[in-house]
Formats: sequence, structure tokens, C-alpha cells
Amino acid sequence: MQLAVNIAVLASIYALICCGYVLIYRVSRVLSLAHGELMMLGAYGLYATASLFGGHPLIAVVAACVLAATVGIAVYLALMWRMTGESVLAAVLATIALGILLRGAMILVFGTQTQYPLRDLGWTNASVPVGDARISAAGLALILATAAVYGGLFAFLHGTRWGIRMRAAGQHPLLAAQRGVGLHGVYALAWGLAALTGGMAGMLIACDAGLEGTLVIIGLKAFPAALVGGLDSLAGALVGSLVVAAAEVLLIHYVDPLLSDVVPFVLLLAMLAVRPWGLFGTREELDRV
Amino acid sequence: MTLLKVDKLEVVYHRVITAVQGVTLEVAKGSIVALLGTNGAGKTTTLRAISGFIGMDDARVTQGSITYRGERIENRPPHRITSLGIAIVPERSKVFENLTVDENLEAAVPRRGARFAKDVVYEHFPALVRQRRREAGYLSGGERQMLAIGAALMCGPELLLVDELSLGLAPLVMEELGRALRTIRDRLDTTLLLVEQNAQVALGLADYGYVMENGRIVLDGTPERLRAHEDIREFYLGAGSGERRRNYRDVKQYRRSRRWYG
Amino acid sequence: MSGYFRVRYADDFALLNTRTRKAWFGLLAAGLCVYPFVSGPLWLDLANQVLLGSIGAVGLMLLTGYAGQISLGHAGLLAAGAFTTGILFKEFAAPMWLTLPASAAVGASLGLLFGLPSLRLRGLYLAVSTLALHFIVIFLGGEYETRRGFSTGIVIDAPLSSPRGWYFTLFFAAAVTVLLALNLLRSRTGRAWRAIHGREAVAEALGISVPRAKLSAFVVSSTLTAVAGCLFAYYRGFVSAEAFSLYLTIQYVAMIIIGGMGSLLGAVLGTVFVVLFPYVIDAAMALLGLSERLSSVVFAVNYSAFGLVMILFLVFEPQGLVGLWRRVQNWFLLWPFKQRPLAK
Repeated sequence: MQLAVNIAVLASIYALICCGYVLIYRVSRVLSLAHGELMMLGAYGLYATASLFGGHPLIAVVAACVLAATVGIAVYLALMWRMTGESVLAAVLATIALGILLRGAMILVFGTQTQYPLRDLGWTNASVPVGDARISAAGLALILATAAVYGGLFAFLHGTRWGIRMRAAGQHPLLAAQRGVGLHGVYALAWGLAALTGGMAGMLIACDAGLEGTLVIIGLKAFPAALVGGLDSLAGALVGSLVVAAAEVLLIHYVDPLLSDVVPFVLLLAMLAVRPWGLFGTREELDRV
Repeated sequence: MTLLKVDKLEVVYHRVITAVQGVTLEVAKGSIVALLGTNGAGKTTTLRAISGFIGMDDARVTQGSITYRGERIENRPPHRITSLGIAIVPERSKVFENLTVDENLEAAVPRRGARFAKDVVYEHFPALVRQRRREAGYLSGGERQMLAIGAALMCGPELLLVDELSLGLAPLVMEELGRALRTIRDRLDTTLLLVEQNAQVALGLADYGYVMENGRIVLDGTPERLRAHEDIREFYLGAGSGERRRNYRDVKQYRRSRRWYG
Repeated sequence: MSGYFRVRYADDFALLNTRTRKAWFGLLAAGLCVYPFVSGPLWLDLANQVLLGSIGAVGLMLLTGYAGQISLGHAGLLAAGAFTTGILFKEFAAPMWLTLPASAAVGASLGLLFGLPSLRLRGLYLAVSTLALHFIVIFLGGEYETRRGFSTGIVIDAPLSSPRGWYFTLFFAAAVTVLLALNLLRSRTGRAWRAIHGREAVAEALGISVPRAKLSAFVVSSTLTAVAGCLFAYYRGFVSAEAFSLYLTIQYVAMIIIGGMGSLLGAVLGTVFVVLFPYVIDAAMALLGLSERLSSVVFAVNYSAFGLVMILFLVFEPQGLVGLWRRVQNWFLLWPFKQRPLAK
């Protein structure tokens, strides 16, 4: 039972981060490998706002979310829009370089100490019993946040006009432009949403376990989850996260704890060998690259 | 009034290839104008230059002007031109295959001031009603063209540019489409500029026609005048002058100078 | 008309065909031989690092710059060479003339493995698969370390210790690498690589075996890289899994991008740039008087500056330093004209 709880929490983390990978890829065909750093930036954002708005934790949380989304949009406007139309490798490298830049900048601004934003917010990470297992409040928040985010995104992308336009821009950017859709606006929105969801994951992990530099690795481990599910499918991201999280937790428990960092990548390789476009991805994706 | 005026337009690809040289045409408001010509005549390039979507093929308008409602629009950013009221239906990739018909129509962004309801589109293209929730990739050629035109209409344009209207469509479907277009012109007050390879279709639909060849306008006139013109009959309508049986070699060697602008 | 004509087939194949070129090359070779005797210890060490790095950079340039196969697993291959050396040394006290070929063999076989995905995947997906393989290799290296109790790393006795000795050894190795690369590129294999980079379908239609070209690119590149890893292990005297992080891969990728893709000169220029970069940053910090304030986070400054410079190159100068060099060259060669005529 505890294993199931752990899987659920880990899967939620991966799923929230994968949101970003899938959104950006689906809408602008760019693979953003800077997502781990954006996630950490969100967490540091919470740390910053928690110190600022010491007495008002809710305001701090909301401010941190707004900050994360703004950073995402800013990243697009400052850098990524120049890379639209460039080769795949160039765009991916630009995101990698951005990640490096962000990581260095974060250390310069915030230092290398481990931080505990939850403490600054004035909340405690209570442990909640579930059956005969326990789950932390932050873990529960993670699961709920993932459900809310995915539900919201599905509703947005399939129910609202701008969601449809985002999907359209992802399929045929030129045709979307000919129909009056502002591509830069759509891409900026995708980046903003991606940074927001990734930042939320970062914030919640920081609340759960503390904020330190190794957080970025989680971002990188979430990437295989997105690929396993299919880079352009949100449903796939959910399923992929569950699969990878389950494999990781079970193998750590039954075989060897050191495997945790490498399991997602082995799964990734297996998936690439068998079905490169993932469980739910569209097949053309493979040839398009 | 003249809605669109193209004056001695020259469009150059990659700074070296002149695809359109000295094209002059006019589109009056409320009319259907056809741009005729074979492959490679420069028709699509002209349309692209008007709509503003030529930058990505590394093309530029190097001479001449395109004026819309008195405003110069050549080499302007495409979203500016779209917001002025010009929409284009491209030749290929004209619908979003993975979106449903409904979603395709919703995806279009109406320009400021224009409001369009999907029902209007369904009124003009009743064949689409059955397919509302079907993914556009599964539609037949005719339905796709209708959807493409309908989606472009959702932007509320004043001038609609259609590239290769009848390509791949069966004659009956084309008839229905022609009727719909005329109704659109009448009821929605939309002006149409059509690019066509099929002279029969073009001359049957349009109020005025231009013939392009090798990047130039070589003839223009009303459909009656064009149909009567000997060279049009010979080269575009397949009706020879009836003197004798011709074969291809004859035509090539004959080197008859075409009496354009007669 | 330059007045220079080729009259024999041998001229076509020659690497240096004019007398001026031979003269310049002689000058360069002489300068490089004299260098270790006139430079200070820091500069000598930098030169050694550049020579060592350029072997790996040339390997990556052949794979990504010429054959167009994106690989993000470079650090994994370096690690493979280094760990092979370390393991053989620790377990069997193997000397260098054994570990070097062994590393090369390991590199070649890993290259085959890394190259297998390229037969089915392209671009992004290929890069991701190489990334995954990289992590697996690093994991295995780390496993060996923990199992055998070398938690801080494997210490290796180097056969050489003087920097000058190392200079000439590495110079020899780098020269052999560059010569090998130049010859490969002029041969059928090199042309096949360029073909598959351009259009695979067309290459196949021309009768080029695309799988063979891809795999040969991977195998050659990884062999060179593993050898570089072996030399790296001896040079540092120390092998540990942490040294072969993703950041190392990115540094090598930066070398070929900043240097300029599709050019061996670019590989070398890029290596020089990336190796000198931290020292330049140090000097800049000293100049700005920030040295003490930021001394504890020097690596973070390096990180940020590196990321920023990479972004600047990607956005503003995608052809890299070689592109810059060619533009400067053209300006001088063509003056007072500005552009080459269209007709040849």
C-alpha cells in the first residue's frame, strides 16, 4: 500500500513536469530540455515570495505561480522566438544552454544552501494516514494539483476557442497564421503554462523535501515519462508518468536503490526500440523530425 | 469601387528568380475575379504576395505596388494584412486534419469588428453539417474545400483569395461549390479572387478574368470576350480553329505569335 | 582566375597543394614544436588540454557535423574509455600499450551500440536515445566504483609526468586524429557521410548503404572519443563517474557549434574557445574586482557565462567561429568587391 502511495506521488511529480514538455512540443515542435531548471526556478520563486509575504502564505503561493508563468513567457519572448524556424538541434541546444544559464544564475542569486520554503510559509507538512500507509500533505497536494492541472488543460484545449487554436497552431503553423492566429502569442502562452505547471511541481517538491540543487535531476528523469507516453499527448504523459514511476519505485524497493536514476532511461530506450512515438503519440511525429 | 489594385508587381525569389514580372490587375468590390494560367505562371506567387505570406519562401516584392482600399500592403507583415480583411485559402494543407469540422471553424480568428457564427457557414455549405464532429482528415476533397473556404470566411474577410479552387474536385461538386460561392458573394458581400487552372470553371464563375503566363498578364476581359478569343480557345479550352488536324509537333513548330492584348 | 591549375590526379588528393600552403604549414608545425619550450607552465597546461579536447571534438564533429547524426552521449563514451583504462589498470595492472587499444575496442563496440538507434530514429529521437545510453554507461561506471569500493574514484599511475612530455604525446595523438579525419573525409566513407547528412533518401538511391554509413560514423567517432577518454584518464591520473556529467557532453557539443559545424578547423577552434573560456572568465572577474566576492561560486559564474555565450552563438552566429573566420577571410580576399559572382 505504501508502495502504491509512493508511486502515486512520484507519478504526479513526473506528470506535472511532463505537462511542460508535452505542451511546448505539441504547440511549437521544440523540445525544451530546460524544464528541470524552470521547475527549480518555480521553487525558488516560492522561496522568494514566502520570505516577502511572510504572514500571508496564500498570497505568496499565488504570487509564486504568477511569477513562474511570467518567467515562462519571458523566456519565450527573450530567446525562443528567435529560434523558431531554426533546425531542431539548434533549438534544443538553445534550451540546454538556457538551462545552464538559469542554473548558474540561480546559484548566484540564491546561494547553494538547502532551503525550506514550507517553513517560511508557516505551514507544516503533516503526515496523513491512508489505509495502512502514510502520505505527506505535500504529496497529497501534488496528486490533487496534477488532477486539477490535467483536468483544466483538457478542458482548455478541447473546449475553449484558444485551446483549439493552440492545437491548430501545433498541427499547421502556417495555416493557423493564415486563419488569423497569432503564433507568437500561442507559443508564449504554451511556454507560460509549461513554466507554471513545472514551477508548481517544483514548489510542491520543495515543500515536501526541501529545496536544493539536485532538484534539476528530477526534471530530467521526467523526460522519459513524456516520451514513453508520446511527446504530443497529454493523456500519454499521464500514463507514461505512471509507468515510469511504478517501475522506478518497484525496482528501488525490490532490487537496488541506486537504480532510481537510471530506470527511466532504460525504459526510454526500450520504448524507442519498440515504439518510438510513444504509447499515445501520433506516428507522423517520427518522420517529421 | 476598386477594392484591390495590383500595379506592375514584381516578385523575386531568393533574390535572383523573378517569378512575377509586371502584373497589373484590379478587383472591384463585390465581384468574382479569376486569375487563369497554367502551372508555373506565377499565379500562386501573386496570391501569396497579396496575402503577405511570401517571406518564408524567401520571396519579396521588389517593384510595383499592391493597394487595398487605398492602403499600400506589399511586403507588410501577414497578420497586418489579415486584420485588414484579406483571407487566403491555400492550395495544399488547407484544413487541420486532426481537428473536427466544428473545431476547424472555431480555430479561425475573426478580425476585429466582424462577427461570424458557424451557422452561417453551415447554411452555405449544408454538406458539412453531417460531418460536424468528424475529423477533417476524413473528409472528401469537395467537403475539404468547402471546409477550407468556410473556415476562411469565419475570419470575416472582405476579400477572399482562393488558390486552385477546383483542383481535384469532380465536376458536379465544383458546380455546387460555384453556386455556393456566388451566394456568398451576394449575401455576405465578400469579394473573391480565384486562381484557377481550369479555364472552363473559371470563366463560368467569374465576372472578370486575367490570364497569366510566365509571370505576366497576357490577356484580360469579361468571360464572353475571353471565350471568344482565338488563342484562349486554342490553348486553354481545347477548341482549335478547325482548319486542320493538329498534332503537338505542329503546334510547337508553328511558333505562332500569340496575339495578346489584341 | 587565380593562375593555379591542377594538372595531375595527385594534386586533387594532396592535402597541401600549393607552395605557399606548404610554407605556411611548415611555419605552423615549427611554431607548434617550439611552443612548449617558450611558454609558461599555465599556457603549456592549457595547450595540453586543448590538444586532448580536440581529439574528442574531432570525433564529435565527424559524427554530428559531417554525418549529421545528433549525439548527446559523448561524455558516456569518454567515460567508457576512461573506465576501461581504470578498470584494466586496477584489476590487471595493465600498461598503457594494452589499455589504449582496449579502450579503442570498447569505444568501437559502444559506438555500434550507440549507433543502432540511428538506423530507426532521426534528429530529436536519436539525440534522446544517445542521452539515455549515456546515463546507462555512467550508471555502470558508478556501480563499478561503489562495488569495488573506489567511492571517490580510481587513481591511475601515468606513464608520463612532465608537461612537455605530455605536450608532444598529445600533439602526436591530435595530429594523427586530424590526419585520420582528413583522410576519411576525402574518401568514400566521408562522402557517404556527407550524403546521408544531406538527404538520406537520395543517398540510398545513389547506392550508398545508409546503415553502413551511419554505423561507421558512430564507430569511428566513438573509437576516437574512447581513446581520448583513455588519454584523459592518464592525464588526470584519476577516474570518477562524476566527472562525466551531461555538462561535459554539452561542452563538447558547444565546441563543435561554437567552432562551426562541418569543419575540422571548427572543431579545433571550438576546443580552444571552450578550454580557454573559464580562464577568460576568471580574468574578467579579476578585472571587474569581483574575484573575492564570487570566489565561492566561481563555477556558477562559469555556468551562467557559458550558457549565455552558447545562446549568443546559436542566435547570432550559427556558423560559429569558422563562419566568422570565413567572413573575415572573404572580406580581405574579395576587396574591393563584396560578394562572389554568381557564375563560377
